[in-house]
Amino acid sequence: MLSWRLKLRNILEEKTLKDKKLKTQLASREKLYGKSAKTAAKIEKWLLPAEAGYLETDGLEKTWRVKQTDIANEVDLLSSRNQYDIVLPDFGPYKLDFTASGRHMIAGGRKGHLALVDMMSMNLIKEIQVKETVRDVAFLHNEQFFAAAQKKYAYIYGRDGTELHCLKERGPVARLRFLKNHFLLASVNKSGQLHYQDVTYGGMVASIRTGKGRTDVMEVNPYNGVVALGHSGGTVTMWKPTSQAPLVQMQCHPGPVSSVAFHPNGHLMATSGKERKLKIWDLRKFEEIQTIHGFHAKTLSFSQKGLLAAGTGSFVQILGDSSGSSSSHNYSRYMNHSMVKGYQIEKLMFRPYEDVIGIGHSMGWSSILIPGSGEPNFDSWVANPFETSKQRREKEVHLLLDKLPPETIMLDPSKIGAMKPSRRKEKPSRGEIEAEKEVAIEAAKSTELKKKTKGRNKPSKRTKKKKEMVENAKRTFPEQGHNNTASKKRRIGEDAAAELPASLKRFARKN
Amino acid sequence: MVGEKRRSTSKNLAKNKKRKGPHLPNSILKTIANEKRPLNSDEEDDEIDSDDANVDLYEYEEGVPEEESRKNNRYDPVVNYDYELPEDFEDENVESDDDDEGGNSDNEEGEGDVVRHTRMLQAVTGMPSAAFDGESKRKPVLFTEAYPESEFNPTRDVLEGKGLLTIDDFMAPIEGKPGFNDLQKRISRMQKDTQAVVHAPLPKPERERLERKAVKGLVDKEFNKWVHMVKRNREAPTVYFNQNVSLGYSTVGAIASEFQPRTDFEKKMASVLNDNELGEAHDEDGAKLLELNEVSVEDHIKYRDHIAKMRSLLFRHELKSKRIKKIKSKTYHRLKGKDLKKSAMGALMDPEMAKEEAMKQEARRVEERMTLKHKNTGKWAKRMISRGLNVKYDGTRAAISEQLQINATLSRKMNSTNDGSSSDESDDEEELNDGSDQDTPSKLIAKAREKTLKTVEDDEVPNSGLLSLPFMARAMKKKNEEAIEEAKRALEEYEEWENSGGEENSKKTADVSGRRVFGATAKVEAPKESRKDSDNFYDNSDSDNDMEGIENNDLRAVRDTASPVRNTGAITETEKFDDDIENPASKTTFDVALFASGSWKKMKGCQNAETKKKTKKHVPYSKSQDKKESRDEESEDSESEAEQMVDGILTSASKETYEIPSQAELIQRAFAGDDVVDEFEKEKQEVLNQEVPEPEKPVLVPGWGQWTNIQKKRGLPSWMVREHEDAKKKRTLDLKTRKDARLRHVIISEKVDKKAEKLHTTTLPFPYTSKEVFEHSMRMPIGPEFNPATIVGSLNRPEVVKKAGVIIKPLKFEEANPNEKVDDEHPRSNQKQNPKKGGKTGKGQRKGKSKQKTKA
Repeated sequence: MLSWRLKLRNILEEKTLKDKKLKTQLASREKLYGKSAKTAAKIEKWLLPAEAGYLETDGLEKTWRVKQTDIANEVDLLSSRNQYDIVLPDFGPYKLDFTASGRHMIAGGRKGHLALVDMMSMNLIKEIQVKETVRDVAFLHNEQFFAAAQKKYAYIYGRDGTELHCLKERGPVARLRFLKNHFLLASVNKSGQLHYQDVTYGGMVASIRTGKGRTDVMEVNPYNGVVALGHSGGTVTMWKPTSQAPLVQMQCHPGPVSSVAFHPNGHLMATSGKERKLKIWDLRKFEEIQTIHGFHAKTLSFSQKGLLAAGTGSFVQILGDSSGSSSSHNYSRYMNHSMVKGYQIEKLMFRPYEDVIGIGHSMGWSSILIPGSGEPNFDSWVANPFETSKQRREKEVHLLLDKLPPETIMLDPSKIGAMKPSRRKEKPSRGEIEAEKEVAIEAAKSTELKKKTKGRNKPSKRTKKKKEMVENAKRTFPEQGHNNTASKKRRIGEDAAAELPASLKRFARKN
Repeated sequence: MVGEKRRSTSKNLAKNKKRKGPHLPNSILKTIANEKRPLNSDEEDDEIDSDDANVDLYEYEEGVPEEESRKNNRYDPVVNYDYELPEDFEDENVESDDDDEGGNSDNEEGEGDVVRHTRMLQAVTGMPSAAFDGESKRKPVLFTEAYPESEFNPTRDVLEGKGLLTIDDFMAPIEGKPGFNDLQKRISRMQKDTQAVVHAPLPKPERERLERKAVKGLVDKEFNKWVHMVKRNREAPTVYFNQNVSLGYSTVGAIASEFQPRTDFEKKMASVLNDNELGEAHDEDGAKLLELNEVSVEDHIKYRDHIAKMRSLLFRHELKSKRIKKIKSKTYHRLKGKDLKKSAMGALMDPEMAKEEAMKQEARRVEERMTLKHKNTGKWAKRMISRGLNVKYDGTRAAISEQLQINATLSRKMNSTNDGSSSDESDDEEELNDGSDQDTPSKLIAKAREKTLKTVEDDEVPNSGLLSLPFMARAMKKKNEEAIEEAKRALEEYEEWENSGGEENSKKTADVSGRRVFGATAKVEAPKESRKDSDNFYDNSDSDNDMEGIENNDLRAVRDTASPVRNTGAITETEKFDDDIENPASKTTFDVALFASGSWKKMKGCQNAETKKKTKKHVPYSKSQDKKESRDEESEDSESEAEQMVDGILTSASKETYEIPSQAELIQRAFAGDDVVDEFEKEKQEVLNQEVPEPEKPVLVPGWGQWTNIQKKRGLPSWMVREHEDAKKKRTLDLKTRKDARLRHVIISEKVDKKAEKLHTTTLPFPYTSKEVFEHSMRMPIGPEFNPATIVGSLNRPEVVKKAGVIIKPLKFEEANPNEKVDDEHPRSNQKQNPKKGGKTGKGQRKGKSKQKTKA
């Protein structure tokens, strides 16, 4: 921000910009940007209906000592409804996925149980038993469609549980993720192949062999759509559909990576390795910000407000950014939650726009309250939990119209529309050419001439030869044409009179 | 000739003057006069009209006899006598032709004469000698004239610029001629007029330049006052052209107020509307209006009669209809119906009516098809049929058949709305027949046979056209043969069917028709298959074995990826094994799972037992794994753990069977085999080599330069080495400038994505000259998703805002504050338009102004 401002001052005040018109226009534009930011801040301050909650403790009390039961006593009835366990012991550990609005949840039991639940009314919309292993579930752009990675293939189901598509090309899929802005269904299969399929027309956009072996750690960076895979060698690789090579490979852990999560703003990544370490990375610099020891997370999840949940065994830990500033991060314990002993946590996921985290575990799924995790105010243009079917339809059309092509997935999407990055310097600058010329001439001058036989070794011949060499050296550098013509023009304009023959002098223009 | 003579005379005169003393040519006199003027102003008066005076004097002297002129010389007799006498004599004797010689002799006289001459002049005129220096110092030049003097060949005097001709010189010869005085007066007047010297005009370009210069200053001044306005408009983010434009009348009333009646009708209307009398009547509670609204008696009577007539007509019609309604005669109604039908037939000709009729028919058909009213479904018909009464009694049978007939006619498909062609109708009929004759298959078959025969028979080969070509004909023939063959087969079939029983026939026909055959056979098999499938599903889904299989598979895939075949074999084995064990239990559990799924309930019993079995089975398996695989073991452990948890009993007992090593030890053991960091570094090196390839080592072509030892010793040519070094240097530089140069644990690919290149601009868009500025300006999104609604408008406003149809008028001058800031919120119109005040445009006014200024 600061650097931008500095740059702006530079631009507006002096040398970089000579065009006065452009300068004033840019200045007025900047003013508008400032105004926009201010208005947005004002709106945030005054007009937003709800404020983010948080856990506050007195004196020696620690936030992580607060139990769910304590919270339940304090919160309103509607919120306390979000604390529950659903016990479904038969269908194995559950995977969860929420829609962008947080209204719907799909739960996929390992043993074939798929359930679509309306979280607002706690209604079971549809459940089906696919009678196959289900490895992962994911919503597509809205609750009307969801994909399930099953034993052999991945399938897409409709809201009413009808099987719409069988995605056979991918093979046995281990993880499924949906890229909302690009309408791509990304999946990694057992043999470590990454597939991108466009769900609008069904075409396979990319199929990439990662070459890193089997993995079931996969996450999408919500900021830029880059898919990250965690591998058994401790590396995290990031991919885009348009290149076969990984964009970034990071050696994050010495042991296998057990899970990866991205902060919603896309700048932070959390990884956990099996060597009981949890690391937080800054993705702008690809540097490690923080290491949290003694903790191995089977599943990680960032909330909208930046809380980080990590689950191991039957224990959930919530880490909060205690530094409070956006530039430095210091994640520390915020809350804990222990499930009933023996429940194995499979998947953690914060519910959008609610202070709730969903926990999929071996005995069903649970939901607990984490104050301050969700965004308190929803933007109905982005995601509306109270969406009517008409709005949903309209949204769908809009989403399709705004669909981004797969090549827009890149590490820094703000570079779209900027100048094409020059690969190599295509044309050396004039100064460089001059310098090179100088060097060449020097070299030509300093070359030692061979001693020739008697007749040819005359000094005159030698000097002639040398001159020739220098000339040759010069000739390799073409003159800068435009410069010459410019000077010629000037000469014509100024002292043409002096050069004219006497008879024509009187025709020369005076002053 | 005349001109020549005149000149000669004038010359003669001039010579006379010279000889006669201080008589000087006019030009000299003029110079003298000029010299003199400052000295004594008294003489100036004389000099002013000197020309005239001189001329007069000259003329006068001309006329003076020689003796008198001598008198003039009395003061200086000696000098005069010495020199002039002999010449005089000569002069008198010899005519003017010879005076050139005299002139020459004059010139030849030498400097001494000249000095003396000037001295003489000085003495005569009393002027300093300097005045005559110009003449005296001039070197005497000899001119021999090869050509007679003329205007093309001027004399020496003229060339020297000395003996310039004046008007006087021209006037002299015509003195005394009739119009002389008049002419002279005129000339003198003219000379007076042109007293003020008129210079030669400047060359045109010069003049124009000066003019331009002068104008430029003025115009600059005029334009400079526009600068602020122009600047303001240039720098404004948006220019508005739609403000303060009234688009004319706003209401209908306003439009109507200016209405002028033009046509007769309008005028009449206006006269009525503007009638004072009427207006007054209207104002006074309308009582008077009635008076004005008189109705004549005749009109009233007419109206009454008309109404009475209509009433009576109505009444009679009513009576008639009542009577008709009462008629119960069937014949009457039949006849009436016939009439109606006839009229309907007539109506059929009318497309509208036909359509309506068709629609009705269609509706009836639909109703019939829906209700099946006439298909013996009624109570009565059923009873009759069930009791076999329809066979017994002819009447019943007839009634029933009639009903069927009605049904047939009603449910007949009509191509009603679109007028069907005859062929369609026939098809319909056939269909209908098919429908109605279903109970008589023999007939059907007969028909089919007939048809096939017909098709076989009428094979006609066209005589002309493409089809008549020999090869086409051959092909046709072949086809025909085939068709006939087929038809024969069909006929045989028909016969067969006919021979076999009626009921069977019908069945067969049903079977024969296309897919049904297949469907029927499949139907028998399908259930079996599906059951099998589902059985499999049951096994897979509930027995866990499938999952375990996968797990095992996965683990092994990691372990020995080299032998997938073996792997799969193993899976199948285990599966089988598991199947054998668990099959008895599987069925029941599935049922529960399937049907109790709505109730979110636990299941127990046999499944628990089963899972226990499983875990037991797995323990030895995991034990058998070696160190390197223990990484995978962990997950598997958790898996097995999970399974244990399913029971709801914490069974850590199984784990306690072997010692748990310390955490650090475990971790070390887990990652002992991997030197992940090293591997990664290697990988990075590889990637770097790939993306920034190392320069090739210079090698000579084998055989080159290896002939002698010396050449060998010298090694590679220097330029090769240099090139290689340069390439190396470049590579190191490239590696240094990479983003991941300093990050040991990161590889950032710098491959250029060609597909993404279209998302970047190759050139800077127009006003921008630097990349930095452009990218800076691009950094903020301006869409409604990113900005508050109040700002989006101003962020996205176009450069020019204009209403359609608004005429953009030229800029008008207005005072602009140079220090004013551009304010986008209060848009300033560039246009103050008044539609009623048209005519003068700003431009015209401006022009006028500037003109005035330039004139001033």
